[in-house]
Amino acid sequence: MERIKENRIFCRKFSRREFLGVTKAAAVGGIVAAGVVGGVAGYLAGTSAAPPATVTRTVTTTQAGAEITKTITATVPAAKKLKVGYVYVGPVGDYGWSYGHDRGRRWADEKFGVNQVESTYIESVPEAEVAGAITSLVEKGCQLIITTSFGFMDPTAEAAEKYPDRYFVHISGYKSGAAGNAPNNMSAAFAEFYQLYYLNGLAAGAVTETGVVGYVGAYPIPEVVRHINAFVLGANYAYKKRTGKNIKAHVSWIFEWVAPEKARSAAIALIEEKNCDVLAFTEDTPAVLQVAEEYQKKGKKVWSFSHYSDMREYGPTAHLTGQIANWGPIYLDFYRMVATNSWQTVDIWSRIGDYMPYRWRLPAENSTAGKPEGTVYLAPLNPVIPSQWQLEIKKRYEEMKELIFEPFSVEGNLGEPIRDQAGEVRISSGERADHDMLWNMDWLVEYIEEPLPR
Amino acid sequence: MSVEWIEQVLQLTVQMGTVYLLASLGEIYAERSGVLNLGLEGTMIMGAATSFIFSLAYGHFAAIIMSIIVGALMGFILSILVVDMKLNQVIVGLALTMLGIGLSGFITFPEIRKNLLLRLNPYLPQEILATQQSEKLPEIPIPLLSDIPILGKMFFSHNILVYFSLIASLIMWFILFKTSIGLTIRSVGENPSMADSLGVNVYLVRRVTVILSGAFASLAGAYFFIGFHPFWREEVTAGRGFIALALVILATWNPLRAILGAYLFGGVETFQYRLQLFGLGAQSPYFLAMLPYIVTIITLIIISTESIKKRLGAPASLGIPYSREE
Repeated sequence: MERIKENRIFCRKFSRREFLGVTKAAAVGGIVAAGVVGGVAGYLAGTSAAPPATVTRTVTTTQAGAEITKTITATVPAAKKLKVGYVYVGPVGDYGWSYGHDRGRRWADEKFGVNQVESTYIESVPEAEVAGAITSLVEKGCQLIITTSFGFMDPTAEAAEKYPDRYFVHISGYKSGAAGNAPNNMSAAFAEFYQLYYLNGLAAGAVTETGVVGYVGAYPIPEVVRHINAFVLGANYAYKKRTGKNIKAHVSWIFEWVAPEKARSAAIALIEEKNCDVLAFTEDTPAVLQVAEEYQKKGKKVWSFSHYSDMREYGPTAHLTGQIANWGPIYLDFYRMVATNSWQTVDIWSRIGDYMPYRWRLPAENSTAGKPEGTVYLAPLNPVIPSQWQLEIKKRYEEMKELIFEPFSVEGNLGEPIRDQAGEVRISSGERADHDMLWNMDWLVEYIEEPLPR
Repeated sequence: MSVEWIEQVLQLTVQMGTVYLLASLGEIYAERSGVLNLGLEGTMIMGAATSFIFSLAYGHFAAIIMSIIVGALMGFILSILVVDMKLNQVIVGLALTMLGIGLSGFITFPEIRKNLLLRLNPYLPQEILATQQSEKLPEIPIPLLSDIPILGKMFFSHNILVYFSLIASLIMWFILFKTSIGLTIRSVGENPSMADSLGVNVYLVRRVTVILSGAFASLAGAYFFIGFHPFWREEVTAGRGFIALALVILATWNPLRAILGAYLFGGVETFQYRLQLFGLGAQSPYFLAMLPYIVTIITLIIISTESIKKRLGAPASLGIPYSREE
């Protein structure tokens, strides 16, 4: 019944001549099987509301099989480009979140082939206007629409409902067909940093002289809270192993994602008030690293990290290591799914190991830590980190490729159970954090002195 | 609370407050002559963008001079629109702000910035073309004076623009209240037709003060960028031009009171993060952030009473375009 209805729509929308034109082009062009499927489906989906699944089935059964063996080298004609639309929350011109996504877009375009994909973006979209932005991308013929802010989640899910013939990817949310709370043409993806923050923490604990580390936090939301906890657990691991004493940690909140001047004030406050000498942060610019570098120039040893991009040029001396994201491989994966009509709704947290070419652990000496790979990876390690700790960091990095080691487990805390600030055990022996615990984390580990703003 | 702690907090307060002080000084003159320059934010951000590009291309001196020129130019545009063409000052001012925000984002967009920089100075190395930061203005502690406890760090261990802002507020206070030029400016803001009948060129006075306010706002933006935190992002000034506008009211159009007001706003921004670490304010950081605005609103309420308004000398024809009845 469903099938007949679909076919009728199909017939009405496409004149026979148009259809023959397409199939002829495919035949004359002599396309690889995948190329036929992807290219033709892409072309058709781009020009009408017909469900692509039906179209593809027709095409493959009638045409491609006969032509496939003849010529294999030709490329997809230009008219059948994959069309992808991105919606960014911020401007792409600066250093922050949207800039990172745009870099990922360009990376994915290049790998996919700039002749085969046409990607467009709309930047600085307020949350209230995202539905309009999505609609205009749909009208532009985009088959795949990627929205990159948490606040875009519900409008994206609604759009997925409204346009069942298009594919939607939402970044940093929890709604997807895979999770069962959105239509099947919607996926959720995220590049998750908490493992890398733990490694930063190891580096921090290895170099700190005061035994006090600081964190400039954006907003007290679970994502930032788990990054703070992971960082502090790592710092405590290294510091306690070195000295036998617990680490002390302080957090200052700036309540902004991008506010370099506020991050500067908060970083100075942490250094001056609490004697922190290693600072991690969640703020999109290198402000904290710049402050650390200024202190280094004045002769005081203060260290910081890269965040999202390789920020070494902003603090050549003060830079210890850091977390870097490349969204490209995630996007490329979705491009391929849509182009080959092999869509599968997913909910991905891309962590260490994901999208990396070799997903097995290597011996620490041969570790790839500090080299670009996958979607989230470690920035180059500063030689001031003692060599045994560099090895430890590399060992953990390699172990996390196989998810053998989990920071939020007693192994990550020198065998001690992980307690919150009230002294309550949150993770005891034999347990490790699961998705829900990470996703909803609303407690700080015991080594942090300030309460969590609520 | 050691002496060093107090010194440091005060030093940072002055560093932050200077942004507001510079921007409000020019605005005080413009409003004293009866023109509301709502383009302050846009002019400020253009100043920051100009200083970013020129400090990369030619260094700090060129950055400061060029940002003053760009600011004066924006003031000139505003003066043509609101003084000569007598357009609505609120609308034109807001339009100028939007223009400034958009234009600054445009000229600093990576590709366009690269081309601009190469035109200005074809010998720039690749890393300068791509960077988002520039060299910070050096601090020049004044010998002897900077050794005075507390005051030394607070006023005499800064970069050149901080010193300039302090000297400028003294001079501008003197000119405004102790010279005939100041009297002319104030009379134009008070009763332009009376001033006109006495032979004062109202249009000229207003145009000069608006250009001055543009130059100062732009300089404030330049200070914020190269003097406070030299990292570029779009909308770098983040609404500080509007805070400066509030500050003008808080200072009741007086350059000396503007110093206090500027340091109040600057102090709150500095303190916010320190109080968090003492366990105060972390639960509600917005409370502290709103304090200066409460003070501003209270000031507004107080000066809205007619008698106090007269005594403080709030410009009576602020925001009203002047046209000769011919």
